[in-house]
Amino acid sequence: MLAAVPGPSISTALATGGVSATDLWLSRGGREILRGARLEVPRACVTALIAPSGAGKSTLLRCVTRLLDPDRGTITVGGQDVQTIPPRELRRRVGLVAQRATMFPGTVGDNVAYALEGVGPAHDRVRQAIEAAGLVGDWASRAADELSGGEQARVAIARALVRDPEVLLLDEPTAALDHETGELVGATLRRLAEDGIGICLAIHDLPFARRFADRAVHLDGSDATEAGRDEAPAA
Amino acid sequence: MSAQAWTQVAAAFAFAALASGLAWRLKLGLGSGIALAAVRATVQLAVVGLVIAVIYEHPPLAVAFVAAMLLTAALTSGGRLHAVHGSRIWAAVAIGLPALSATGLLLAVGAFEATPQAAIPTAGILIGGAMAATTLTGRRLIEALHDEQDAIEARLSLGDDVRSAVAPLVRRAVTTGLVPAIDQTRSVGLVSLPGTFVGLILGGATPETAARVQLVVLLALLAVELLAGLLIALTIVRRVTEPGAERINPPALG
Repeated sequence: MLAAVPGPSISTALATGGVSATDLWLSRGGREILRGARLEVPRACVTALIAPSGAGKSTLLRCVTRLLDPDRGTITVGGQDVQTIPPRELRRRVGLVAQRATMFPGTVGDNVAYALEGVGPAHDRVRQAIEAAGLVGDWASRAADELSGGEQARVAIARALVRDPEVLLLDEPTAALDHETGELVGATLRRLAEDGIGICLAIHDLPFARRFADRAVHLDGSDATEAGRDEAPAA
Repeated sequence: MSAQAWTQVAAAFAFAALASGLAWRLKLGLGSGIALAAVRATVQLAVVGLVIAVIYEHPPLAVAFVAAMLLTAALTSGGRLHAVHGSRIWAAVAIGLPALSATGLLLAVGAFEATPQAAIPTAGILIGGAMAATTLTGRRLIEALHDEQDAIEARLSLGDDVRSAVAPLVRRAVTTGLVPAIDQTRSVGLVSLPGTFVGLILGGATPETAARVQLVVLLALLAVELLAGLLIALTIVRRVTEPGAERINPPALG
């Protein structure tokens, strides 16, 4: 999968809504977390950001949605500097699914409808988002806190999808999943990319990236396609 | 002092000696602590008694006395909330605004006489209640902001502004802060006789008067503590919010 990059070229894709992060530096508590990190997430493409745990993948993703600001560096979405985009608008355009899916009280439908003003859990958009996340059937009425880790991960994806993001960032989406569920999530993400969404998987599982990503990069922006092991050098 | 006054003091010290001796005998490690607390209470109440006696002769000094109570409450509560920058000042606002407003209102409408004899205990009770609510609400909220960052960021990532993202935490903290006042109000007369009622009865007031005054104080406390909790919660949220970025800097616990 990694060798075949479908869709438009990266530069074209970025100009039409992808994410580009350049030379990001960030320190906290005297520790350098990001050291010149780079990331390109074109639309209609699955990008795997490969790095070991603790290397700064989560921090980089949080910087893209401005849950953190880097000390230095530039991040753009569709060519527009994120510092010039109102945070709530930015987070509508770029969805972020955290490693630990946090379920809100209520049903799956309530969770997915949470992000939509004036839309109830039975709305068509909610149902479509749940199905798009790979949960086919009567999932909307199920209690969210009674789902398995894998099911909650997919509800978190549905919750991000319902807002029609241009780009979806997923932090270790397979961390809490067994192999079979991971395969289902991977297939779901591929379908979403084929629908035009830019997908970025921050992941340390290179075999998973090989199966489902179009391109794989390290935190310094270098190509990770040829990496032959799960762990890759940090930035 | 009268013979009864000496008997009261002797009885008080006898109970303190009993508690201290029992703690020492049972090796609870509390013997000296109980004795020290008894001595401190004696000194503090004696000084307060003397000060209030002076205030009765010079009523304008009551303002300074209430200010000293508020300052002490703000330092105590603010110290518990030190994870938030400027906590003592914000605690003073959260405690003082509702407590002093309610006191002023009760005096202004004639519910109590506008004398130091009425103003000082009323302000004291309301400041004390507001202090407890401020500390409890503030601590609970700071802990929640620290412990529930994943849930807050999940809400922010779904387009919430900071105020909406932390609203469930604020509601829980304010509720927690108000629980003691609600329980006290619900159980009054059934589980315990509150201080105002007991003090008035011992001071010679009729049970009807004592009950009426106690009711005013209890219900005023509910409003004052709710407002104090809301004020400190909104202040904390504002202090940890990064302007323009729709995100929070969670306070460090300590």
